[in-house]
Amino acid sequence: MLQAHSILWHYLWLAPNLLQLVLAAFLARRGFHREFPIFTLYLAAGGIEDLVLYAMDILPAVTWQAYWTASCVGLVIFALFKILVFGELFSHLVRSWPSIAKLGNRLISAVGALLLLLATVAAAYAPIENPQHAIISREHILEQSVYIIQSGIILFLFLFAAYFRLRLGQRIFGTLLGFGVLSCQHLAAWAITANGLMFNHRYLLDFFDMASYHICILIWFYYLLVPEKAAISSQVRLPGHNLEIWNQELERLLHP
Amino acid sequence: MILAVVLIVVAALSLALILRIAIVGSLQVRKGESVAKNIQPIDVEAFRNLVSPSEREYLRRHLTPAQFRVVQRLRLRATAAYVQEVARNAAVLIHIGQAALATTDPLTQQAARELVSQALLVRRNAALALIRIYVTLALPTATLEAAGILANYERLSGSAMLLGRLQNPSTPVRLSAQ
Repeated sequence: MLQAHSILWHYLWLAPNLLQLVLAAFLARRGFHREFPIFTLYLAAGGIEDLVLYAMDILPAVTWQAYWTASCVGLVIFALFKILVFGELFSHLVRSWPSIAKLGNRLISAVGALLLLLATVAAAYAPIENPQHAIISREHILEQSVYIIQSGIILFLFLFAAYFRLRLGQRIFGTLLGFGVLSCQHLAAWAITANGLMFNHRYLLDFFDMASYHICILIWFYYLLVPEKAAISSQVRLPGHNLEIWNQELERLLHP
Repeated sequence: MILAVVLIVVAALSLALILRIAIVGSLQVRKGESVAKNIQPIDVEAFRNLVSPSEREYLRRHLTPAQFRVVQRLRLRATAAYVQEVARNAAVLIHIGQAALATTDPLTQQAARELVSQALLVRRNAALALIRIYVTLALPTATLEAAGILANYERLSGSAMLLGRLQNPSTPVRLSAQ
């Protein structure tokens, strides 16, 4: 069951990508692509790319070098694609609030640069296991680098929204949550693989990766397709002051 | 090996933090009105005294350098407490303002938008002011400029008052304790 080319393996590779394409089609029909064009395109292109890799994996005519080269190229292209997706989500988050947009743009650029530096340092320390199959090790290191940057940016977006108490909205929240779960799990798995651990049990990590990707797609299905609950306009009463309590607190601070 | 373990721990902590933020955020949206009780009035005059350069100069002239450093540290800690309270109030007002954005009344919606915008500015400035205060705590003889946050907070009080009046004309709204 938990082996390469088992029924579960085929299911976990095929199903999430097919679901991703179905989701892209649903979202395009609902006009989601007008609001989030990059993310919708990412869903469609990402699903196709993974299905191409699946076909390359099972076709005997494709050499392992060709497969891993294609995997590396796809990884770099989709890493850049995801950066654009995060930029799109972030711009939706701050576009209504110019008072924090400038700071947010500066912060996310600084965080991105710092994460790139960390990923480079981590890559420099990762070993090349077998020089004859160096491209495989390089692909693993590249995966580790991509997920260091990706999980860092997702964490930053959540922290930024939490600090400023910004309502993410169901769609942005669901998209970020899916990416967050996927990125953190993939970071842990690729850190193990890229650093030469669990050499004889890597198939387990592959299953783990594929299962978390499946969960991510299901999270997106739920948050992007289930209608958003209408916001309830509440008649909030702002309270009057309580000077006495506040002064007691100050006294305590000034004369401990 | 060590790098892998570090990255696994970082990944696990990041996931836990993301899930925590997601859950806490969902709970806060459901809380609705009850968050308004968390607003604490701010004694703006006392805050103004704490950050006043003339007060600081007065203390510097009348105290020995050692005494001044001690007093200045106390004043800075009090200032930090004020700023944290201002930031907390701003967070509550962002929550209230965002809830009020869903209203159909354009006047209330405009007031809510204004409130959220100013509260975000105050929260941003509060974070920057706290960083500056903690840097100054390490060097108590350095100058501290927190007047900007005070001006923003006073504008924010005005916006909150306007929104409160539009939503509940009979309810007095006050964030500053004069």
